[in-house]
Amino acid sequence: MNLRNEQKRPLKNIGTAINIGFNLDGMQQPLHSLRIDFYTIFNKKKGDWMVQSKGRKYLFLLFCLLPTFLLFVVFTVYPMINGLYMSFFEWSGASGNKTFIGWDNYKELFSDPIIPKTIWHDYFLVVTKVIGIMILSLFFAVALTQLKIKEAPFYRIVFFFPNIMSVVVIGILWTFIYNPDLGLINSGLNKIGLGRLAKPWLGDTFWALPSLVLPSVWAGIGLFMLMLIGGILSVPKSLYEAADIDGASSWKQFWQITVPLVWPQIKTSILYIVITTLNGSFIIVQVMTEGGPNNATQVMGSYLYQKAFKEFNFGYGATIGVMILILSLVTVLLLQVFLKREKVDY
Amino acid sequence: MKEVCKRLSLLVLAAVLVLFTACSSGSDSTNDGGSGESGKGGVSGTLEIQYFVGGYGDAWWKEVISDFKKKYPDVTIKEDAGPNINEEMRTRWISGNPPDVVYIDGAGSSETQMVEDKQLMDITDWVKTVQVDGKPLMDTFIVSPSDYDGKMYSLPLVFDTWGTWYNKALFKEKGYKVPTDFNSWMSSMKEIKKKEGVTPFVTTGKYPYYFLRGVLYPAFGAAGGDKLLSDVISGKKGAWSSKPVVGVMQKVKDMQEAGLIDPGFAALNHTQSQMNFILGKNAYIPVGFWLPNEMAKDAPKDFDYGFIPSPMNDPGKPMVVVPDLRPLAIAKEAKNPEAAKAFVSFVFQKKYAAKFAELTGAMMNMKDVDLSNNDKVPGYLKDANTMINDPKKVAIHNKPYPMSADLEKPISDALVSLMLGKIDVNEFTKRAEAAAEKYRNSN
Repeated sequence: MNLRNEQKRPLKNIGTAINIGFNLDGMQQPLHSLRIDFYTIFNKKKGDWMVQSKGRKYLFLLFCLLPTFLLFVVFTVYPMINGLYMSFFEWSGASGNKTFIGWDNYKELFSDPIIPKTIWHDYFLVVTKVIGIMILSLFFAVALTQLKIKEAPFYRIVFFFPNIMSVVVIGILWTFIYNPDLGLINSGLNKIGLGRLAKPWLGDTFWALPSLVLPSVWAGIGLFMLMLIGGILSVPKSLYEAADIDGASSWKQFWQITVPLVWPQIKTSILYIVITTLNGSFIIVQVMTEGGPNNATQVMGSYLYQKAFKEFNFGYGATIGVMILILSLVTVLLLQVFLKREKVDY
Repeated sequence: MKEVCKRLSLLVLAAVLVLFTACSSGSDSTNDGGSGESGKGGVSGTLEIQYFVGGYGDAWWKEVISDFKKKYPDVTIKEDAGPNINEEMRTRWISGNPPDVVYIDGAGSSETQMVEDKQLMDITDWVKTVQVDGKPLMDTFIVSPSDYDGKMYSLPLVFDTWGTWYNKALFKEKGYKVPTDFNSWMSSMKEIKKKEGVTPFVTTGKYPYYFLRGVLYPAFGAAGGDKLLSDVISGKKGAWSSKPVVGVMQKVKDMQEAGLIDPGFAALNHTQSQMNFILGKNAYIPVGFWLPNEMAKDAPKDFDYGFIPSPMNDPGKPMVVVPDLRPLAIAKEAKNPEAAKAFVSFVFQKKYAAKFAELTGAMMNMKDVDLSNNDKVPGYLKDANTMINDPKKVAIHNKPYPMSADLEKPISDALVSLMLGKIDVNEFTKRAEAAAEKYRNSN
């Protein structure tokens, strides 16, 4: 659908306006056009919007934005600022007594030998998860759309299945799979005669962290596969047909057509994985290893939890939270730069 | 259109106002409610009790509270109870609106922390005046209350203790000897390893404090008594590298080097390690009295639990138990302190101590409670009760107060490394000393 031309024409009826206003592809539209769309919805009387007073216009905008903004302030901005504020206090998190200690928590942060470990563990998970999830979900997405498999809907459900399970359940499930004595992996290795490879996966200081990657990837594939399928399906079939006629191999088609055209989806997926890992990797760590053995799987989030809620150093926990915020922002900004590509249009 | 907009903006404004007033008044609106005037003659008003419900259940609490109501009909009791009660009540404690009486147990609670935060009432003088069953309350405790620089803030209610469990039936059948000291324990473990083909010792590496409290504390108690326990827990300079501690850690290293510790222990949580024990994959496990209760659903009905104090003592010396106490305390900001005091002194009666053993499978912290004729009390508890009352076999050593999490966590980390064979005793003591130094400086 040719959006750009449509916008230049004055909109005549509500139908088109809604159509454009709520088009999922709306990211590409300039913002001012969206505003006009809403106008046309509510002031369909011909010519009315031309004489609309400024005051009413802003009142209407206020009506749309204020509730959201308030909720945003109460549930996002306030906790964030409060967290920042708390990081300057020594507070157990269980009583009313707080002592202002200035930058002491930050000094502690820089001298804490476990902090570098947690950062490294988090980025290890970020990199391995991005690679693992993107390769597999891209592969499945292409396979389910391009290879004309008859059972495609079935596989789509199967691969999406882990996404409807809670991460906690996934963690517990995989803890059983990794169980050194009764687990699927070790008994499987023993069965096929590779018993010497069997090890207490989650209890081994070297293997514990890599062992967390597998469940995380497994749990993540489904969602991103669906996103990529959506992207691939919006690529015009004619492009592939033309490429076929020109004799391009499937491999070439993948790199020259699919990847460039679904790049926005790939980029979004990567950013999403990075953000959710930096903020949420702690769930799987907490459930499967509690950061152990000897901090071998401690990530920033789990360390924050440990400090704030188990060792009763809430102020220091808040400091770690600030660190997570800063690192996430920097990472996402850097990624925005690195993942920038010219928008391709064939 | 104009009308609609006006109305809507008013509505939004009203909503905002409501939101803000709700936010700002949340902390103090409850302050004036719920307080009770303590009458001069008797106890009255509302009494709020917070108690954690875990492995011991809440049957005992229900019974005690209903008896209390009968004795003090003017008191209305409000119970805050459940497995997550510590988290649920946290905001109340933060806002200075705590319950009157609190039983400190379970995840998210720490007696030491509450004392540090000055949340508990100083009951030093009051306790000395309390009489129970015609005796001073202070004389009835098996273990005296925690001592914070000469002050008392809590009374130990539940007497639990860590020890080492074994499968009594298996030992009887195969003729394995129940160890009485570290040497006989080592030879027993080696024998079991050879004959049963299993690694004999298991514990949870996910929660290393099980080993710390269940094996190391008794070992420290045996090697240096209350003094060493106190030094180690307060992180005194040089305590963790002192000779007795090095000796104890060498014993742990010996167990590790002989391959007696389950190589997968670091991956296991407490339930998994206990499951291993029940399934006979391991022969010894350090847990507290609550093990049979906790595993009741998973273990065979006739599983015969045997309990001994963790035998880390040298030959010829008594085995050591280090009690793990769950205290009852009165909040500093209690609104009805008179009723709170009445309740606390009401609880410490022999009849409730006997009830406690029946209903929970653990002991209340009271001396001379006769359990041997009570057939509702499980066997292991009777054994333990007799053992604890026999000073030739078992010595009781006490820690001054529970170890702070600030110190326990780094020491646990180093402990896991030692038990995995990644570091030696020297490195362990170095890390422990560093952790202790940091802990000292932070206080």
